[in-house]
Amino acid sequence: MAIATFPYVSVPLLANEAHPLGSMAHRPLAFATITASNGASTRCIVLPDSGADACLFPLSLAILMKLDVFKLPKGLTGGVGSNANTTYYDTITVDLGHGISFSVYAGFTQGMDQMGIGLLGQDGFFEYFRVEFLLSQRVFTIESA
Amino acid sequence: MATTVADLSELLKGIPAGAWVAISERQNKTLAYGVDAQAVFSEAQQKGEELPLMVRVPDQNMAMFL
Repeated sequence: MAIATFPYVSVPLLANEAHPLGSMAHRPLAFATITASNGASTRCIVLPDSGADACLFPLSLAILMKLDVFKLPKGLTGGVGSNANTTYYDTITVDLGHGISFSVYAGFTQGMDQMGIGLLGQDGFFEYFRVEFLLSQRVFTIESA
Repeated sequence: MATTVADLSELLKGIPAGAWVAISERQNKTLAYGVDAQAVFSEAQQKGEELPLMVRVPDQNMAMFL
């Protein structure tokens, strides 16, 4: 059984009308090696996201891993502020280190390019791992379920 | 505790919003940046980093993720 604890990453956000003094976002981000079906890999930031149905990554990462995206099966994904984003699927391996590694049918979409991070969602991640978020201690733990 | 890049904000300091950045976690330094992730990744690999960490500087660092 694998278990690993990761620190939250604190990201200062600029001031706006709603938050005139700015604010701090504390995000449960981890660093992962993702390996595509063609054997190419890259490192990226990922966010365990219980609100995501599946695992999704920026399309730019598929391109730099030299996946021929137009030959990949397509679907549509949507989120806050966007919907009907064409999403290309590939079976990849996600390795967070410390024995936390899994294979998942993941989507790559331009809709995730702006954030530049991958989302680890219900299908393929939360179905195999238990995640405990302890914001008060600024750590989160991932454990194989 | 799993290790992470010590201070991402320091590594991204001065890099334009919207840029993709290739970081060497081993050397804790930025290797390349630009608008094209593939070009940035290739440049980092040419500098000897087989697996750079790819990060994107947000367009506007004022939005909360939902």
